[in-house]
Amino acid sequence: MKPSPRNLITHLRSLSHSGLLLGASLLVPANQRAEWRREWRGELWHVQQSCAPGGACGWQDERAMAAFCLGAFQDALCIRRSNFENKPFFAQSSGTPGRCLLALLTMLAAAYALALWLPGVAAERGLWPRKVSPNLVFIERATSHSLSAPSITPRQFRSWEGRRQKYFDAFAFFSVSAEQVASPSTGLHRKANTALNVARASANLFTLLGLSVHLTNPLLPDAMPEIVLSERTWKTQFAADPHIAGTIVRFVDRSARVAGVAPDGSLALPGRVDAWEFPPSAGQLDPPFGYVVAHLTDEGKAEMWANRVAINASQPDGTEDDLLGIAIEEWRPSPINLYLFAVLLGLLALPAITTVSLGESSLDSQQTSWWRKLVRWSFFSTKIGLLFPIIYFVSFDLAYGDRSLGREGAIYIQLISTFSLCLFGMRWVLKDQRQRCPVCVRTVCHPAHVGQASWTFLDWNGTEMVCMGGHTMLHVPSLPTSWFGSQRWLYLDTSWQFLFAGSTRPIP
Amino acid sequence: MARDPKPTDQKLSHTAAMILQALDAGFVYGFSIMEMTGLPSGTVYPAMRRLERDALIRSQWERQSIADAEQRPPRKYYKLTAAGKSTLESSRKRYPLLERLIPSEEARTV
Repeated sequence: MKPSPRNLITHLRSLSHSGLLLGASLLVPANQRAEWRREWRGELWHVQQSCAPGGACGWQDERAMAAFCLGAFQDALCIRRSNFENKPFFAQSSGTPGRCLLALLTMLAAAYALALWLPGVAAERGLWPRKVSPNLVFIERATSHSLSAPSITPRQFRSWEGRRQKYFDAFAFFSVSAEQVASPSTGLHRKANTALNVARASANLFTLLGLSVHLTNPLLPDAMPEIVLSERTWKTQFAADPHIAGTIVRFVDRSARVAGVAPDGSLALPGRVDAWEFPPSAGQLDPPFGYVVAHLTDEGKAEMWANRVAINASQPDGTEDDLLGIAIEEWRPSPINLYLFAVLLGLLALPAITTVSLGESSLDSQQTSWWRKLVRWSFFSTKIGLLFPIIYFVSFDLAYGDRSLGREGAIYIQLISTFSLCLFGMRWVLKDQRQRCPVCVRTVCHPAHVGQASWTFLDWNGTEMVCMGGHTMLHVPSLPTSWFGSQRWLYLDTSWQFLFAGSTRPIP
Repeated sequence: MARDPKPTDQKLSHTAAMILQALDAGFVYGFSIMEMTGLPSGTVYPAMRRLERDALIRSQWERQSIADAEQRPPRKYYKLTAAGKSTLESSRKRYPLLERLIPSEEARTV
């Protein structure tokens, strides 16, 4: 028998609701889970009967049923929280500054540990001390877009290299292409018939970039080309063979000898490169287009503006070509600079999503002592002091944890994650500080909503929260008015003590 | 675990007072309280847990035989305790509109 569409929809709906309840039940402590599920299942049955008596229902009813099921998560969380609070340690430390700082410290330790453990982050971290010379630039056609594609011909490169230049004293060329590895040779661990992204480069590329990689072969004209494998390729394609040096790798049209392994990301050049090949002579560089790295003389450096320099070069055929030199530093900004830039942006955007006030005004004239103020401000500063390293390491973990994203992707992820974490992290810091009792610095709790703006036009409406130590009550207006624009503290006198006697938690 | 009943003059949030009033008015399970008060499930059930924890209400499972006879799952009913009734009386003084919003069972049957 073929199921009707209505039955199918009813079945799917029932499944999704059960799935939601099942998911929420996982938040409930195990010893209460069965009863909790039983109650919610029973209630859900009645909700379904009410919203969809015959199985069919409209969009509004569907939404009502889904909203009902989603409420189960709040209930489950409430039970879980309640269980934690019943434990002596959690009951005593709930909302205390120490617990907040402990949580932040734990997050910092976890983010740092992750940075140490993730290989991509470790590789990137290994590059931090290495400074790229500010005199190094990529040269591309002025019409190209941020090195997205190579634009310089080997002929142009040879022409510039062969002439004395006023603004440049060294050039290096490379181009990346996918090369099929024809057959395994002595590299026994290597997977057969794989393609590698090979960058064919002039012999001075590593020297120009300041890398101390020495090729064993003297690069004689008739010698076999040498290749330097990336660390990733060495590990994945050659099983991290420690005796890889000297191995012959055969491509379809040539062979090359492995000279060594370069750490991942150490070059950070455009394009994903698995190996760098160095033909014995620049004349053997024959791709249609490639990238050129050039070293500026002091005169050339003086011509730079905003990390760029406009170049007008004569072509071998006598025509003129408009080129652009882009500082490698700009193309490959340091993670620290990216972090600082994103943090600055986040701080500038902060007033757009929250008030930067700490809301310390009070309903009466009572003021806290200087000592209390010092403690409060020290706590605030410590939170910020822990937040920024957390943002730094978390954004780094996100950006460089997955090496398949490539450098450009990592830069965007680091920028966006740092900005978002800074924005919302600072928002949390300010909100948390606003809800801390000025006397004991514990979080106020048990929010009670009083009045509704639409019902009590000129009367007080807002949320009241109370300090567990019985020091203060916080009044937060729902709608800021001219007479009650921001939150205010009410310092509770001794007449309120009866509320807190013998109990650390007032009734809801 | 239920705690000792609290003095009756303690403050209740508006939501908790509404739930107590709804229970007193004869709406004795979660969904009926939701329908009566217009509060979402994510507010009603956690509030009822807290009220039960503070011994202002108590819960009881319906007998399985009744549920089986009606071919539906059994449900959990809630009831005000003595402390809950006293606290509700105090809350009515603080929220005078409470009774007009949810009339009690006696008032509705008159």
